[in-house]
Amino acid sequence: MLIDQCAYSNRWRAVTPAAKGIFALAGFVSAFAAGTPAAALCIALLMSATTIFGAGIPLARFVRAACVPFGFFLLGSVSLACSVEYHGGDFSIVWLPNGPAPVARVVARSCAALASLLFFALTTPMIDQIALFRRLKIPETLIEIMVLCYRMLFVFSATLRDVHTAQDARLGYATPKLALRSMGSMAAGLTVQIWRRAQALHLGAMSRNGEGPFRFLAPVFINSRRDVGFAIAAGALVLSLSCL
Amino acid sequence: MPESTMPPLLEFEGVSFAYPDGEPGLSACSLTISEGSRNALIGANGAGKTTLFLHANGLFRPQAGTVRYAGRPIEYSRAGLRRLRSDVGIVFQNPDQQLFSASVFEDVSFGPLNLGLDPESARERVEAALDAVRMSEFSGRLAHNLSFGQRKRICIAGVLAMRPRLLILDEPMAGLDHAMQKDLLSVLDDMHARGITLFLATHDIDFAYRWADRIHLMTAGRCAAAFDAEDLAENAGALESAGLPLPDVVGLYRRLVTDGVAAPGRVPRCVEEVLDLLTQRSIQ
Repeated sequence: MLIDQCAYSNRWRAVTPAAKGIFALAGFVSAFAAGTPAAALCIALLMSATTIFGAGIPLARFVRAACVPFGFFLLGSVSLACSVEYHGGDFSIVWLPNGPAPVARVVARSCAALASLLFFALTTPMIDQIALFRRLKIPETLIEIMVLCYRMLFVFSATLRDVHTAQDARLGYATPKLALRSMGSMAAGLTVQIWRRAQALHLGAMSRNGEGPFRFLAPVFINSRRDVGFAIAAGALVLSLSCL
Repeated sequence: MPESTMPPLLEFEGVSFAYPDGEPGLSACSLTISEGSRNALIGANGAGKTTLFLHANGLFRPQAGTVRYAGRPIEYSRAGLRRLRSDVGIVFQNPDQQLFSASVFEDVSFGPLNLGLDPESARERVEAALDAVRMSEFSGRLAHNLSFGQRKRICIAGVLAMRPRLLILDEPMAGLDHAMQKDLLSVLDDMHARGITLFLATHDIDFAYRWADRIHLMTAGRCAAAFDAEDLAENAGALESAGLPLPDVVGLYRRLVTDGVAAPGRVPRCVEEVLDLLTQRSIQ
């Protein structure tokens, strides 16, 4: 749980999520507003530097968190730049007629948007994000799904680990064939567990009079106004970069 | 605290219940929980302890018989269940069944907010409940980063924050090490001192004998026997038919009496009481 660990151990843990949200949103808007790939890359660098040097997220962790989404849109940009065509028994690569400029723009903007999202995800714990979404009046059903999914993620990862260990201890992964079989039975077992846990959680909620929407007390942040003020100023700076 | 001196708070009268797949849950089960008492429910796995608890909180409805709370049959209307669940709290065996929010503070606030309290009052209750289970310093932590015993205490806090009159705990000692059991026991003693009626399931006859005012034996979905804990030695037959032994301390005391080391009298409830007896004897 790399992202979760960073979110709870960074320097800006006690900063109100509203301030972090404003700054991340400014980065995100700037990514789309950036006129040139160079401006978008500047924004990406600034947001990444803020995450690493400001919030104190270790570089290695930042890179690990960025690897998967970065790889994903790198792959996407390759398919955008060229495509493979088949004519009369021959394969040929067809490049984008307008040249590489549109691809460079998309990649640069995506980098900036990714850096902005990573800033928010790596500095703001999920419970603070949920509290912020509640204040922003995001539909209650969506928030409840987020709350349950986040909680169940840890319950199921623990169950998954236990089942895997139990199978491994009895040579369940000794050969590729056995591993495939073990994974199949684990998936089947987990399906039943999901159903049982959903039922158990329902009983747990009912026993505490929880028949309607899930309601929780929001965490309190000191210096909220000051932090939001800083975030607005910093956000304006990032937005001005998009005009470069 | 003998049974007869206290008014009944929760009563089961001939309650029967079977699960939809035909699995029997309760079979003409009758028992009484008196206000302000400490009750232990003992029975083998599958005896119907959890099913009985789910009836006490109105989560299950009897197919036959009646469940009474504070002298009145439970009303299964929305408002009736709301009132009942505000008074009768249940702590499940597995804490992961009860914790919804990843944040400790948020999760404990779930019950008080469902009672319709304003955020300030709810916040006060959450802080008081976390303090009562000695988990105040964990309020900002994540549930999944806590140990099993700590998560269990958070569950208790979540129910305590609703200020129940009757607190039901399904095998609260299961999965806890000795130190955690001792801590939890002292939390339960504090709650009892505040006037909360306690009703818990356990497999540990020694613990039940030492801690409870009244012991209820559960076999095959029915309450086979119920007696004051201090009368347990006289109910060896009922224990035997439920497949339970006499507590070790009773066996030890009987042997001491037979050997003339201790004088016959009130049967001690724990090893400390036996040691007191021996100390008094040596002084004499």
